Amino acid sequence: MIEHPLLNPTRRHFLRDCSLGLAGLWLAGQGGAHAASAAAGGVLKKDAAHPWRPETGHFPARAKRVIYLHMAGSPSQLDLFDYKPELEKLDGKDCPQSVLAGKQFAFIQGVPKMLGTQFPFKQHGQSGQWISDRLPHLAGCADELCVVRSMYTDQFNHGPAQLLMHTGSQSPGHASFGAWSTYGLGSENDNLPGFIVLTSGGKNPDAGKSVWGSGYLPSVYQGVQCRSAGEPVLFLQDPPGVDRAARRRSLDALAEINAATASTVGDPETVTRMAQYEMAFRMQLHAAEAFDLTKEPAEVHELYGTQPGKESFANNCLLARRLAERGVRFIQLFDWGWDSHGAGQSEALNHGFKGKCESVDKACAALLTDLRRRGLLEDTLVIWGGEFGRTPMRENRQGQEMAFIGRDHNPGAFTLWMAGGGVKAGTSYGATDEIGYQAAVDKVSVADFHATTLALLGFDHMKFNYPINGVPMRLSNVTKPGSKVVRGLMA
Amino acid sequence: MPAVNRKSILTLSVASLLAGAADARSAMEFNRDIRPILTSHCTSCHGGVKSAGGVSFVYREKALGKGKSGAAIIVPGKPEESEIMARVVSKDPEEVMPKPEHGPPLKPAEIERLRQWIAEGAVWSEHWSLVPPVAAAVPEVQDKTWSRVDWDAFIKARLEAGGLNPSPEAGAAEWLRRVSLDLTGLPPSLEDFQAWQKALAADPRAAREAVVDRLLASPAYGERWATVWLDLARYADTYGYEKDPHRDIWPWRDWVIRALNADMPFDQFTIKQLAGDELPDATSDDLLATAFHRNTQNNTEGGTNDEEFRAVAIVDRVNTTWTTWQATTFGCVQCHAHPYDPYPHADYYKFMSFFDSSEDADLDNDFPRFPVAAKMEDGGPLAALWKESRELRRALNDEGAAMAGKDASWQILKPLSAKASGGTLTIGDGGRVTAGGTLPVGVVHTLEAAAVPGLTALRLRIFPDKDDPLSWPERASVLSHLTLSSVAADGRREEVKIKEVIADYLAGPFDPQESLDGGPGGFGSYPAQSGGRWCVVVLEKPLAAAEGGKLEIAMKQGAVSNANQQACTLRNFTWETSTSPAWTSWLAAPERAEKWARLGEVKAAISRMPATSVPVMLERSAPAARDTRVWVRGNRLTKSDAVQPGVPERLSPPETPGRMSRLDMARWLVGGRNPLTSRVLANRLWAEMFGRGIVETLEDFGSSGALPTHPELLDFLAVRLAGAQGWSMKKHLREIALSATYAQTCRTTAEAVARDPGNALLARGPRQRLSAEMMRDHALKVSGLLSGKMGGPPVYPPQPAGVWNSVYSGESWKTSEGEDRYRRGVYTYVKRTSGYPGFLSFDAPARDLCSARRLPTNTPLQALVTLNDPAYLEMAAALAERVEKDGGTPLEQITRACRLITLGDPPAELTGALSRLYVATLEDARARQAAGGKSDTTPERAAMILVANTLLNTDLALNR
Repeated sequence: MIEHPLLNPTRRHFLRDCSLGLAGLWLAGQGGAHAASAAAGGVLKKDAAHPWRPETGHFPARAKRVIYLHMAGSPSQLDLFDYKPELEKLDGKDCPQSVLAGKQFAFIQGVPKMLGTQFPFKQHGQSGQWISDRLPHLAGCADELCVVRSMYTDQFNHGPAQLLMHTGSQSPGHASFGAWSTYGLGSENDNLPGFIVLTSGGKNPDAGKSVWGSGYLPSVYQGVQCRSAGEPVLFLQDPPGVDRAARRRSLDALAEINAATASTVGDPETVTRMAQYEMAFRMQLHAAEAFDLTKEPAEVHELYGTQPGKESFANNCLLARRLAERGVRFIQLFDWGWDSHGAGQSEALNHGFKGKCESVDKACAALLTDLRRRGLLEDTLVIWGGEFGRTPMRENRQGQEMAFIGRDHNPGAFTLWMAGGGVKAGTSYGATDEIGYQAAVDKVSVADFHATTLALLGFDHMKFNYPINGVPMRLSNVTKPGSKVVRGLMA
Repeated sequence: MPAVNRKSILTLSVASLLAGAADARSAMEFNRDIRPILTSHCTSCHGGVKSAGGVSFVYREKALGKGKSGAAIIVPGKPEESEIMARVVSKDPEEVMPKPEHGPPLKPAEIERLRQWIAEGAVWSEHWSLVPPVAAAVPEVQDKTWSRVDWDAFIKARLEAGGLNPSPEAGAAEWLRRVSLDLTGLPPSLEDFQAWQKALAADPRAAREAVVDRLLASPAYGERWATVWLDLARYADTYGYEKDPHRDIWPWRDWVIRALNADMPFDQFTIKQLAGDELPDATSDDLLATAFHRNTQNNTEGGTNDEEFRAVAIVDRVNTTWTTWQATTFGCVQCHAHPYDPYPHADYYKFMSFFDSSEDADLDNDFPRFPVAAKMEDGGPLAALWKESRELRRALNDEGAAMAGKDASWQILKPLSAKASGGTLTIGDGGRVTAGGTLPVGVVHTLEAAAVPGLTALRLRIFPDKDDPLSWPERASVLSHLTLSSVAADGRREEVKIKEVIADYLAGPFDPQESLDGGPGGFGSYPAQSGGRWCVVVLEKPLAAAEGGKLEIAMKQGAVSNANQQACTLRNFTWETSTSPAWTSWLAAPERAEKWARLGEVKAAISRMPATSVPVMLERSAPAARDTRVWVRGNRLTKSDAVQPGVPERLSPPETPGRMSRLDMARWLVGGRNPLTSRVLANRLWAEMFGRGIVETLEDFGSSGALPTHPELLDFLAVRLAGAQGWSMKKHLREIALSATYAQTCRTTAEAVARDPGNALLARGPRQRLSAEMMRDHALKVSGLLSGKMGGPPVYPPQPAGVWNSVYSGESWKTSEGEDRYRRGVYTYVKRTSGYPGFLSFDAPARDLCSARRLPTNTPLQALVTLNDPAYLEMAAALAERVEKDGGTPLEQITRACRLITLGDPPAELTGALSRLYVATLEDARARQAAGGKSDTTPERAAMILVANTLLNTDLALNR
């Protein structure tokens, strides 16, 4: 935290003394919450004036921060990671009824044809991970990856499935992974939001802003969506005619006035507000600096394939590294455009998919390389994946063969990879059935994924909860008992 | 979906504070002492959703029954024989309840309460909010001088019981600012303050009443309170979802403001919005009011199933109705019986049935819409014309449909050949034609049959693809363009002129006559079909066919459903013929021609009147009513039993027999037997005035919601509101504004805050941060920029470029000019996928779904808005200009600016700090000027703008 030289003693004194005395609503509120669920364990005491103060979990953290690269729309695992020679043999044949029975699809109708992998696969690295030729750069990092091939979900539409991946529940109103993380761990940078969201691909995720919401947790823990081009945070710049010195003077006057108000009125929110204005001031400085990619050397731009000022996934990856370096706890990227139905050229497996892969392949590999060489990968958990998988059948809207090649949504199996903080590098975990339709061996549910990632951050997912209406809500979803930490993913 | 919230956790502690630890010797009270134990420890497994081991604690009869094991769960009077006791005290991990992996064991005190309650006879009571409110006598209090309205005593009695004193009365400025912002959303002017002070000196009581009456009579009142309703109604100026195009529904927003300003009683306000279309002699305003439930989102993304999103919209209507009027998390019941509250699964669908047969169906044009006259005085005539046109059209069709039933000459037409321009047609037994193959949009089926001499009419029967109603609705079938030709033996062909197409019933966006023009509309069910349909095609004159002649029927199908993805083809149909001469004579009857002529005139008259077409609720006619069924596990694709419209048994349904209409449902909500509506409204008004409800969870009065902090007061207020006050919100708010409880100062101490952080007991006055809209309106008013213009299309105040990223809609944010730039926040354009940034930062909801409560937050991003948003800078500049205009020294100017917020003499810290800021900024600006720096403003003005900007950011300015 940077103390400004002009910070006047009155305000500093006041902030120090009064924030202890008038500790804000939350502490008092938490007292009640604590009493209500003390036996269930771990409700945190948070100070409203310092909501992002760094904290520790139930046990030592293997990862201190998270960079989550969500490919919204859900890339085809069958064409990137989940190599299925059996499926290739079935290519073009009618899908057997036994496979279709009792299944619901977003678009497939009647009897679809099976669709073999569209691209050559090879094993890579010491670990021999199977990766297709769509991701050549990432394949070079195969030994860093822990590839989970047996993920499954119970949602087959984008919105609910994205909510489930990010909040543990398919319905809106629950706290997101990032919100839980910052609520639990605070932030290591007082000058930037602890949970930052960056989007690329031209659109926000289908489920909207709820996927980075704070749900029932205090709203300061919601993700702050920043823009990777232009002003990163709205209204970050001082208005014309107000320079930094003027703003500082203005905030000093404000602090003096608000301190007097706090003393006479006694509203603890006033004290919180004073702290928030100070943070806003620091954020103006630090966010602008953190988002300024022009300072990066040419070699780095070469590595990521970045162009400052452009809105791209690559730029967001580089920003993610810069934010991680600065102690931001949770950096959430969404890249839109992975919904390869074959309904249009831009998303079809035989057209736009190639470009989509190129737009993330180099940047993902660069991010891992860059984090590794800066010593950040050890305690940064990097996650890559969509919200569900895609079918081994070719999509056939209205029962008709479509002009382009694509696959429908498949909740039964998908692939997700992790790297860095505490995960077993160079591993493949779990397997799907012969055609890649259903997770079959060492299945990992979304709740298991949450339990495991929380464990890497130092939390017992069963004890890390927040009581609402008498229910101890948790990320691993209280209505889905039996979720477990997957030790096989952990180093 | 239950709206979860973080604040209810406060309630747990306060509720226990209020209830106190139950005295071991006093009798147990189920709702206070036992239900919370069951809800927090038991019902997630033994509730409405899951009743593991056959045990449920939601219904009395089940709790007092036997589980699957045969053991009696609760035996009144006999804790030792009650299985529940054995289980909660068990040390055996296999036996103990809750199971260790499900949650912590009961605390000894909780076990003791359970034991005592069973020993006392296990008296079960209905959840508090399901018992109709009864006004208790006002309690006795020690200090009888404090109360200003009778119910103040409830607050005082509670404070006395806790050994607390109320806070002193708020100062004149504090009260006036609070009551002005609470009632009108705007701060008082200095003139208001001076007048109030003068009156206060003469007669305080009369002065207070005069202020409150003036505020309630101000048009600003409706604008402020409308926001509360618009959040519940999920009002927005766009459709929502991916494309999020513009929707003209602002006349409904204006109706809300007008209704509130006119103090329309809440029962009327309710009935008009839920069922104004079903009122006898519905007026233009009654129809407009029903747009409440047309604020649901409409998905126009290509390929989205219209029926699916129609279903989402009616589910939203059910959930919104229950949250808004009943504060009940009824959404849970969509998928299963309610986990905590006594609503079985089928109740959801019975209630959904009230909304299931409306005309709207997620169509891109938002059908059906009603023309709201641009000029108020045109409203009556336009509504009359609109009604006449609908009735005339229906009468014209229904006469024909009745004729078809009487015609005994119908003969099945057996086609000689049937060909489709894309796909295949098969002629089966009984002339049944079935289609297969691709059947693209615009496909033409051409049938050939032996000509029937004397043919006067044809009947098309469309059959469903599958006979099982559980599989309905199916893909639509629409006959877009029908042409008939007579082909003579020698090959000469002649068009056979069709006069009319009569449908079995009228429903949906298309007129059956459209089958005669070239457009995509026409006869059929659209955008989805449930069961069979028929229409009669009446020829202009009987067919004069020669021997060996043929009749050719060409049927084009150009309609597309599911946002331009699915062709609405004819796949299963027959044709019949009639030679009854009655058809021709009937057509020729002058009365019929007159009706058609009149219909034309009426339509022309409607189109001449300037109007805005607003989506409204309209019920399909009885034969077109949809067959509502229970959705298994909430999935619309797996339907089971059919249900009749109805309301839950536990909530006193009307006693009158017969099928309930939507209008009956609306009347039931505000009728005397409903235990919730009056409480929910009283609580909402209370929460707006005090910053928290008597029930803190405004959205949930069920057993998972918070308990009321002052249950007797809530009931007292609810009974008065629905009774003596005749559902008048103004009368109710007037009493609150004049109460001693409300008159207390908000000034407090750390000890008092620590004792009651949420101010649940009201030992001090309320202090609330301004709402998102108030934040803007307040700054506009103080700076003198605020426009008083009311109503009309939404406006576009300044917002940063690039915020509206409308990839598909092609719409852009064109910053408003002139006074529209400075309108009240309620008129700012609400785009669902891209809300106004200044409002979102201050907790305004996105308006996707019903929002019963804005949880106030306090974040650095808010500071960035009020410090740096150019809109706020513009207001600061206006404020600087305003105070400079009246002259005087800078200190005098600063003091005048401060007074606009503090009303009374501003505190020395305020003027002192701002004066020093002024001096330092001025010196800086002068130095810069001296150094040759250029600026658009004088150093004095630049300094005063920064002072004004700072003033508008003080905690004093941001709160009320």
